[in-house]
Amino acid sequence: MSANRLNVDGIMLFEQPFARVPYEDYRKVFRTSQKYVEKELGAVQTSCGDLSKRVNLGTVTAEDAAKGIDGMIARVETLKRKLSELQDSAGAPTLGVMRERLEHLAQVESIQSTTEPEFARWADVRLDRWLVDWALRNGKEQTARTLAEHKGIQRLVDIDLFSDIRRIEDALRNQSCTEALAWCSENRNALRKIKNTLEFDLRLQEYIELIRTGKRIEAIAYSKKHLIAWQSTHQQQIRTAAALLCFPPKTTCGPYKRLYDKGRWKNLADSFRLAIYNLSTLPTEPLLHLAMYAGLASLKLPTCYDPETRNADCPICDPDLGRLAQEVPFSHHVNSTIVCRLNGKIMDADNMPMAFPQSGQVYSKEALGEMAAKNDGFVTCPRTGEQCEFSALRKVFIS
Amino acid sequence: MDGPLKELAKLEKLTSDTGSSKGKSPSTTTSLDSLLQSLRQARDRLQAGELASADVLSSLSQTVELKKKDVEERQKEIYSCINKYGKALDKKFPTFLPSYPPLFSSSESSIALERTIALHFLRTGQFETAETFIEESGVHVDRRLHDNFIDLHHIITALRQGNIAPALEWTGRNRGFLQSRSSALEFHLHRSQYMHLLLNSGIPTALTYAQSTFPTFFAQHESEIKRLTACMVFLPLTRLKTSPYKDLVSPSIHSDLEPMFAKEYCASLGMSRQVPLRVVGDIGGGGALARIEKGRKVMRERKSEWSQSDELPIEIPLPPENRYHSIFACPVSKEQSTEQNPPMMMSCGHVITKDSLQKLSKPGGRVKCPYCPVESAVTSALRVHF
Repeated sequence: MSANRLNVDGIMLFEQPFARVPYEDYRKVFRTSQKYVEKELGAVQTSCGDLSKRVNLGTVTAEDAAKGIDGMIARVETLKRKLSELQDSAGAPTLGVMRERLEHLAQVESIQSTTEPEFARWADVRLDRWLVDWALRNGKEQTARTLAEHKGIQRLVDIDLFSDIRRIEDALRNQSCTEALAWCSENRNALRKIKNTLEFDLRLQEYIELIRTGKRIEAIAYSKKHLIAWQSTHQQQIRTAAALLCFPPKTTCGPYKRLYDKGRWKNLADSFRLAIYNLSTLPTEPLLHLAMYAGLASLKLPTCYDPETRNADCPICDPDLGRLAQEVPFSHHVNSTIVCRLNGKIMDADNMPMAFPQSGQVYSKEALGEMAAKNDGFVTCPRTGEQCEFSALRKVFIS
Repeated sequence: MDGPLKELAKLEKLTSDTGSSKGKSPSTTTSLDSLLQSLRQARDRLQAGELASADVLSSLSQTVELKKKDVEERQKEIYSCINKYGKALDKKFPTFLPSYPPLFSSSESSIALERTIALHFLRTGQFETAETFIEESGVHVDRRLHDNFIDLHHIITALRQGNIAPALEWTGRNRGFLQSRSSALEFHLHRSQYMHLLLNSGIPTALTYAQSTFPTFFAQHESEIKRLTACMVFLPLTRLKTSPYKDLVSPSIHSDLEPMFAKEYCASLGMSRQVPLRVVGDIGGGGALARIEKGRKVMRERKSEWSQSDELPIEIPLPPENRYHSIFACPVSKEQSTEQNPPMMMSCGHVITKDSLQKLSKPGGRVKCPYCPVESAVTSALRVHF
């Protein structure tokens, strides 16, 4: 049955962030290791060069030279320790997460049909992952943790990433840029690549706060140190910011009033969230929402909202999901599909639709035949109560 | 996933210390260890008071230079491996998820979604997660429904352990409901118990059980009851397994009880037979979103908005088990039937919508079926209800 064949491409559309997040984590680990190497080995090289020069000049005793080498030994040992700690605490675990996720995805690639029990298990895990993602984005961290722990899927979800996001966002809501700025400097190159200017907005906000509290001198110094660097791209904003020095916080003058607006903090939190989602290739909407959008739209029919034709098995006919489905378009159909309301089977040439002669109520031949067999050849319509002999039913042709 | 997995294996080898160095350059640990050794040797020689300290240091400088280069080489190799892995991922995941405006964000929608999720946890037996979620979100779930799901979970757990008593107790209380659905659940519970007794406690016990339980079901399950009693002539189990009755010893007659029971239990609460969030998620995440996006892209490229913005531009194929409603698309006008434009069956049995019927009608109120030679009176067409 082609409708049950697994659409791997369609499934993989959702999985890019799943594979990508630990990869970005690993790149970060590598950058840290690179920093360690540059710092320690660079220092060893410099001190070795210095020592060598001084020995050549004869200005150093053998004892001092040995001491100098001891310093270098200490540095190399530090580097070795740092690298091995990094590998144990971050490198190896992240590689483990990468492997586990790829293998989880490889599993679904080997499944042929949605009717296989392996698929049901896989899809259960996927729904759990989406629910964790949803809970994390909606500030329900306890739910996310409980769910992940009970299902043993901690390595398949990004709890740490989201609690990081939450920590920085909360700081911004409490009007502190420090955490967000630290994040920006950690990711400066990546942000530059996507031309994200969150850092400028944060700096500008710190500047505004200095003026708000009357620290004009500090504000000017701050502007020199942190804002001028953005001159090439943000000249206009820097000028407006400079003029802000002349306006009190209670000003009614439009552009300056807007700079003093406390609502900017919320915007900063939103821009930060967008930036970090962007860097981690996470979609702005929860994965659950995207899947539900498409799923609800595929199922939604006008008949779902008609009490006459309601079907308890249909997800859209559920009052809550039906409410959510109001936000999505209806499904589109060019061909008829007639579903028997007695046994839920789809009618076709082998299982013809049959109509009661008076009320025009249609059911499948199979279900009516079964009913007739139990009732001496008579059938009764459960909706209208119309009763007739099986032979009096009319065949219906749907072309 | 082969591409990324291959690159990942390389990366794992390059960064692990234990594995023998597979890279072109020596592993970082090796380089650092040998650097340490040289440093220590140089120090010892200096401390031993060797005169040629200038030589010692210049050779040490060279070693430092060399080892630093080795470590950097290794780092470069790892870096290029990471990049290759990234490229493999890009190749595997060529399309980004679409960005949509915020969905389900109105207060009614978010309450509906939270309730859906809470019910999902309850329905799938994740009571601790459900408790945490209800507490954290403050969503209100009907206490009775909550207790019902706990009850369901208890019964299912008992079934899994081979104890059918709680399930039977429930079917006893709901016999009327089950009969109206002509459900065989109760009989199947007894059947499982009977087979269990027959294979484990012997024929007399099983027969006593059969005598006390089967008569009520004789009218409906006569042939099955005959098979159940007749199968004992093939005992023991090894012979039964190759007999015409081998289906009776298959584990599925016990394991099928769980989903069967859950289905009836949910139906008695007016709930769907499948877990609704799974259904919606599986359809949406199984290709529907990809298809919708593709359809939209085509529409954008043609620069034509699709006429009904309230309808998807393309049809999403659904498996038969996810067809819940009849859809009648008129074969003449291609429009879906509605309450105002209902499906009408002509006397030949062919069905078209009322509008099409009117358009095809000739003076005198007759209409010729577009699909067969029969001509009939428009007034004789019967409105059908699917």
